[in-house]
Amino acid sequence: MNNFLIPDILLLALPFVVIGSHFLFPKRHTVPFAVGCIGFLGVFVMLNLLVLGETQTFLSNWKIDSFGVFMREVLILAALLGIWFSKDYFEHDADGKEQLHQLPEFIAAISVATFGGVTVVSACDLLTLFLGLELATIPMYALAAWNKSDPGGSEAGTKYILMGSVATAFELFGFSYLYGFSGSMKLAEIATAVTQNGTSPLLWISVLFLICGIGFKLTLFPFHTWAPDVYEGAPTPVTAVLAVTSKAVAITFLVILVFGPFASIHTQLIPFLSILAAVTILAGNLGALKQSRLRRFMAYSSISQAGYILLAILGPEIVAKSAIVYYLVVYTFANYLAFFVFGIIGQHRTEGFDSLRGLSKENPTLAIALTIAAFSLAGIPPLAGFIGKFMLFESAAEAKTYGLIAFAVLNNVIALYYYIQLIKGAWVDPPDENLPRLEVNKRQKFAVVVLTIGVLFVGVVPFLSENIRNILAM
Amino acid sequence: MTLQNCLILAFILFAIGTWGVLRRRHMVGMLISIEIMLNAANINFISFAYFKAADATAGALFSIFVIAVTACEMAIALAIVITMYRRHHSLDVNQLRDLHE
Repeated sequence: MNNFLIPDILLLALPFVVIGSHFLFPKRHTVPFAVGCIGFLGVFVMLNLLVLGETQTFLSNWKIDSFGVFMREVLILAALLGIWFSKDYFEHDADGKEQLHQLPEFIAAISVATFGGVTVVSACDLLTLFLGLELATIPMYALAAWNKSDPGGSEAGTKYILMGSVATAFELFGFSYLYGFSGSMKLAEIATAVTQNGTSPLLWISVLFLICGIGFKLTLFPFHTWAPDVYEGAPTPVTAVLAVTSKAVAITFLVILVFGPFASIHTQLIPFLSILAAVTILAGNLGALKQSRLRRFMAYSSISQAGYILLAILGPEIVAKSAIVYYLVVYTFANYLAFFVFGIIGQHRTEGFDSLRGLSKENPTLAIALTIAAFSLAGIPPLAGFIGKFMLFESAAEAKTYGLIAFAVLNNVIALYYYIQLIKGAWVDPPDENLPRLEVNKRQKFAVVVLTIGVLFVGVVPFLSENIRNILAM
Repeated sequence: MTLQNCLILAFILFAIGTWGVLRRRHMVGMLISIEIMLNAANINFISFAYFKAADATAGALFSIFVIAVTACEMAIALAIVITMYRRHHSLDVNQLRDLHE
């Protein structure tokens, strides 16, 4: 028995188990949620028990290496936090919208999307890669339009599916040229063909199409315009899932391509990727400056974060992969921490900067958590975000793109400005007596405390990043 | 019928699809344009498989998978379009103006 496959099989079965548990106990609404949480936790624990270091393959097109295991852990952590965060939105209305319905299906959609991410990271041929990517995005379209009673939700869903399908068409067209160029579906054989003939026009047309397609999904600069609308219109938990899971899947896809088939033309790709990273960071930062609504603000913030993550791809394989894994963990923690705070605020208030007023007086714990999340996203030492950004820059520095790094660091100053706007809202602005009181339930309190400790702990403890790199280098 | 003809046909179809997505203001029209783009890629796959590839079955299989995946995508798209229609009683994308800066 190939026991390294067990976590994947369990993850594949999880959506069906969650929906099945709903049919078995239709009266008890907590059962599917509990099953989902226990399922994700179980898969996470099993992944940690796997022996890391060697690449194992199943049926020649499903491979599990240490990068794959790390990415699985990140994705499952994100999914677990996602369903933990979304539970509240199924119990009461929030942010002026009606409550969501069909929690079991919601959890199932998130776990299918997570399995899509797992498929992308395990893929050894173009077909598996394509199926994984679609498996990860199609549930997201449905999730964005989950709240049928909300006009914003259906508008977000429409925009997302139109843009996403065009991106899929571009990717597919790129894949078809790549297949025509190499005559094979296997990523390893494509890599050989690319090594032998790295200047073929067919190859570069395919690279162009693929970068366009992935640009949509990773919200890179010219293709990012859908993101703010979709992030604002989708229900808040879906925004959180989109910002973390779909971005992680997209960056994984890029890593698989750049360090797989395109490994031998990596140096020629660096100029394109650097320009994309630079303009994405700038566009995200400039867009975030003038926002007054929190979810739209988080959309622009996540666009600029995508640019920062793209910096890491410029570096050599091991450094880049470890930086990306580490940064994604940090980003997941900090982003979900911010979203939990926004979720608590948005329960009775509108999700805007004005609703943050007087937070430090009313609930200091939340204000501290928000400060830590914002400083970590901005990359202030000693928080986890600083070490994460440091590793991203280190990876880019290995490619000797010093000008780009200087540009990115200067841009961090702009980022700091708008993240400090959050903190100013919570600590400095005078309290507004008309705002409704905040209610924090046990589940939210637990998550906020755990994530705050996580962001602090991961930054202060240095061995985690070293461990990731050592295991990837094995 | 050569490989070149097929590739040119696929590229023209892809261009028509892209043009349609950019120009059409009707949601179903946009979805049809996207479908044309995806099928252009299918023609590419099949023609490469027929004329060129060492591994010809893979290309043909890929297009079958693409058709299946596209069907799923369109099912979700049409479901979203229906919720849209219930709200606005129109499928004109110019009405999508609730979310903006």
